Amino acid sequence: MLAGHKLKTLHELIASSSKEEIAWINGYLNGLMANHQPNGNGQAIDGTNGSIQTSPVATKKISLVYGTETGNSKKLATSLAAVAKKKGISVKLAGLDQYKTQDLPKEEFFFVVISTQGEGEPPAPAKKFYDYIHQNQLSLPNLKFSVLALGDTSYPQFCKTGEDVDARLQAFGAKRVVDLQKCDVDYEADAQQWFAKVLEQIENSSANASSIEPKPTIADVKKTGKKYYNGTVTANINLNDRGSNKQTFHIEISTEEKVEYEPGDALAIVPENKKWVVETIIKLTGIDRQLEIATAKKTASLEELLTRHLNICYLLSSAVKKYAAITGQEIPDTRMDLVDLLRIYPVKNASQFEEVLKILPPIAPRLYSISSSPLAQEGEIHITVGKHSFQAKNEERFGLCSEFLGELPIGTKISFYIHKNRAFKLPADEKDIIMVGPGTGIAPFRSFLAERDAKGASGRNWFFFGEQHFTSDFLYQVEMQNYVQTGVLTHIDLAFSRDQQEKIYVQHRMLEKSKELYNWIDTGAHFYISGTKDPMSKDVENILLEIIEREGNKSKEEAKAYLEKMKEEGRYEKDVY
Amino acid sequence: MSTEKNLSPVERIKMASDGLRGSLKESLKDQLTGALYEDDQSLIKFHGMYQQDDRDRREERSAKKLEWLYSYMIRLRLPGGFLTSEQWEGLHHIAGEHSTGVIKITTRQTVQLHGILKSHIKPTIKAFNTLHLDSIAACGDVNRNVVCSAHPKQSAIHEKIFQYADKISTLALPKTRAYYEIWLDEEALTDKKKEEDPLYQDRYLPRKFKIAIAIPPNNDVDVLANDIGLIAIVENNELKGFNIAAGGGLSSTHGNPNTYARLASVLGFVASEEKMLKAVYEIMTIQRDFGNRSDRKLARLKYTIDKMGVDNFKTELEKRCGFSLEPVKPYSFTERKDYYGWHQNHEGRWYYTVFAENGRILDDEKAPLKTALLEIAKTRKANFRFTCNQNVIVSDVAESDKDVINGLLESFGIIKHTDGASALRKNSMACVAFNTCPLALAEAQRYLPSLIDKIEPLLEKYHLQQEEITLRMTGCPNGCGRSPLSEIGFVGTAYGRYNLHIGGDRVGERLNRKVKDNLDEAGILEELDRLFNNYSKNRKSGETFGDFTDRMW
Repeated sequence: MLAGHKLKTLHELIASSSKEEIAWINGYLNGLMANHQPNGNGQAIDGTNGSIQTSPVATKKISLVYGTETGNSKKLATSLAAVAKKKGISVKLAGLDQYKTQDLPKEEFFFVVISTQGEGEPPAPAKKFYDYIHQNQLSLPNLKFSVLALGDTSYPQFCKTGEDVDARLQAFGAKRVVDLQKCDVDYEADAQQWFAKVLEQIENSSANASSIEPKPTIADVKKTGKKYYNGTVTANINLNDRGSNKQTFHIEISTEEKVEYEPGDALAIVPENKKWVVETIIKLTGIDRQLEIATAKKTASLEELLTRHLNICYLLSSAVKKYAAITGQEIPDTRMDLVDLLRIYPVKNASQFEEVLKILPPIAPRLYSISSSPLAQEGEIHITVGKHSFQAKNEERFGLCSEFLGELPIGTKISFYIHKNRAFKLPADEKDIIMVGPGTGIAPFRSFLAERDAKGASGRNWFFFGEQHFTSDFLYQVEMQNYVQTGVLTHIDLAFSRDQQEKIYVQHRMLEKSKELYNWIDTGAHFYISGTKDPMSKDVENILLEIIEREGNKSKEEAKAYLEKMKEEGRYEKDVY
Repeated sequence: MSTEKNLSPVERIKMASDGLRGSLKESLKDQLTGALYEDDQSLIKFHGMYQQDDRDRREERSAKKLEWLYSYMIRLRLPGGFLTSEQWEGLHHIAGEHSTGVIKITTRQTVQLHGILKSHIKPTIKAFNTLHLDSIAACGDVNRNVVCSAHPKQSAIHEKIFQYADKISTLALPKTRAYYEIWLDEEALTDKKKEEDPLYQDRYLPRKFKIAIAIPPNNDVDVLANDIGLIAIVENNELKGFNIAAGGGLSSTHGNPNTYARLASVLGFVASEEKMLKAVYEIMTIQRDFGNRSDRKLARLKYTIDKMGVDNFKTELEKRCGFSLEPVKPYSFTERKDYYGWHQNHEGRWYYTVFAENGRILDDEKAPLKTALLEIAKTRKANFRFTCNQNVIVSDVAESDKDVINGLLESFGIIKHTDGASALRKNSMACVAFNTCPLALAEAQRYLPSLIDKIEPLLEKYHLQQEEITLRMTGCPNGCGRSPLSEIGFVGTAYGRYNLHIGGDRVGERLNRKVKDNLDEAGILEELDRLFNNYSKNRKSGETFGDFTDRMW
């Protein structure tokens, strides 16, 4: 892959470096890769002083936010975003009701399109943001901004909200790169002029486009063992609306340390047992909660062990057998919760319970596909957890973790590690991808889309999503709408199974588009499935075979071979559970 | 006339819409959103619908990364406000299956349903179609529902007037077949000539257009609040013709002094049906040709007339009609109300006017109105008529069926409910406002009942509880609740805040005036307490609250 002379230089460097230096280089390159997406061959990296000299072709990132009551600001911002994207600028487009105010200090370019309501108030969806910047004193010396204010000259408070936002950002020390532009009801021409100036500013600033210096952290990953990160829950939202049969939690975890992961990877987390269950066990056994106990893997206080380390839910029948042996009781061959065992077949005393503790297996970590992108959501990591998605065999066990996560209050400290998933990765930027991810299967694809959007990847993206009801279950609806409007999503096809008499699923939507779908895969598109294994992923695979057979004029066997070949080429990947 | 250059965006949308079709078909198919494409949001109004969203839920939905909860309000075209019992029963079920379930009687004598999801619009319209009901032109820049005096007992000529409402509605119906193609899957016309529309052309009117017919002495339709008001002149139980008034309209915009409420100017008299229809038609063509098409806030006929001057307007009208208007015939309005309870018309048929607070038909803790009306409809012994005060008249009951209907009204507690409501409550009115109206600045129909609970004791304190004072509340200054024509008017300015207007007369011939800004509830009650006290002590004999406050302030 590397040209001969480059490879030679690298070998020389490695040969002359100590083990520690190589580890440093490794971490440094990783940091570099995460912040910096090479674009063709024109990439020059000069790391002599530990600083990064980015070439002008690097993707520039801007945030374009809008506050709208009637939809005009949104429409305008969306069309401006499309213009910027065509120029190779990566645009984070968001309504101010969706914008996270804590991201402000991280922004480099921040542009606001905002209207003013009757008596000079901000539009309702922007009120939260407006209040935030008026009630807090921020310092934003690195922020470059400009405001486009929409208004109506027939009102006395013409464009007041825009003026206010402009003034506040300046008061925070941010740099106004283009003057506030006020527009009357016929805003189009003024808006375009304003944005042309904005684009000029962005392009002129190319010399230091990438001000974010990757932290060349020496990876403290030991060869054995996992790298645990500490994070804080900063958001925990049930994405389903009132009246839904589902509960899907969108959880955001912020970390101070940069988390090394890629789209497609999973986050592994060990749930805690329920407090009331632990308390009941302590009460039933009369054991001292502070007692230090050594189990095979962990020595800690009893309370700590029961809460964080030992599995007490839905014990395997083998563990139940051991319990029977220790306590000398006749217990049927079945699976049971520890608390029920203790109720029905009590232990003799606290020391007998200590014996029981030693036979309990550790709580197994649970894996959740990461739904954020390291490029687009710096400093945070998101997961999308369905409360009912893990019922397949072992309802209680999986229920424990999704329930635990769903109930995590904001501010909770949690520890997790990254589980690499090498078999579920984005292809090269120019490749087309088709994603089929109903329900929580959307998680890795939200990551894919954010990543490709942030990179400005040129490949087309097609997403099939399904759930029960349009009104209550369209996970990340607003984000998907933005991706469609800004052209990141070429197609999105939706199947809401219970909005009509007959059940409609993602595979039915695939069939409706079979010709185009075959066309995509036959010209090299990568095909991904995420979500429940049974029956979804099987139904989707069968329909995919049917489409290959029909549209490719192939026999059943040939279609199978075709899919097999896609697999070999890494163009057919599944992340199912 | 407006120049091409500064046309408002809606004007461009109308002209480019291919007979109000726009991209409505594509909008309906788009699964990504519950909303319509932006231009289609303007066009769907001409089909009798508004795109709305549940404003109570905006913040919560945004936090869930869901778009606003979009739904549609559909309003029927119901000239004169009449439904058979079969139609009422059908409406009841459509409301249950596709909407919030509440049937809302509007201030323009029709009914509307709220909360219809995009995917339910077509089934709703199809269901209405099987009942021979439509929503064409119930909203939009066209002639809206034509209203007329509601109660058949008022005059022997009521039936004739009712038919005129239908004739005018038909006369002013857009010619496009778009409604049938989009909502009822009718084949597209190959011969577009059949759609040629000499009245609306491709631009329709600059703004909404309202027509009412009143039979004096009752002004229950608020005839002077309309773009065209027809006042029936009856002598010896015979219809002699109509006084024609033009240029009424109650809406204004906060902070925009160029906007104002205006009563229609009574222009003259016409003696024949033919001349009346011609005059109505030509008033519309004048508005089409002279109305302001660049600023929608100044686009109603009232501004066109004031810009031209009433005399010039009349001259233009006579020129277009090819005949002169006769001098205005004398008439007199002495009341503006609904006749609650049982009344008989000249043919001996019976009518029971049910009190429906703010026009909302539902089963609630006050009365099971919706069930009661369904059971009455099932007997097939009555029709249903709506009033411009948002009530429903169980109508055309034969003498022999009266006992059956009365029994149902009694057993569901409707008679008790109607008799038991206070005079103030029965003469009150509120528009929809929150949570669905996109224009609302403050609550109206959800708040007024509880405000009246607090006003009633004040009236009792001054022994005024028998006074039939009109009280009207609108959540914004657009005037759907006809607040400017009430004795006590509230106009919302912000959440929980209202301007107080007083001094309107009881019959709807004098506008009220603003006396207080931005009152909260405590402020409202304090102010009313003061006014009621003053009124009870200083009024002249027989002087209404509106006349008293007009004299004093």
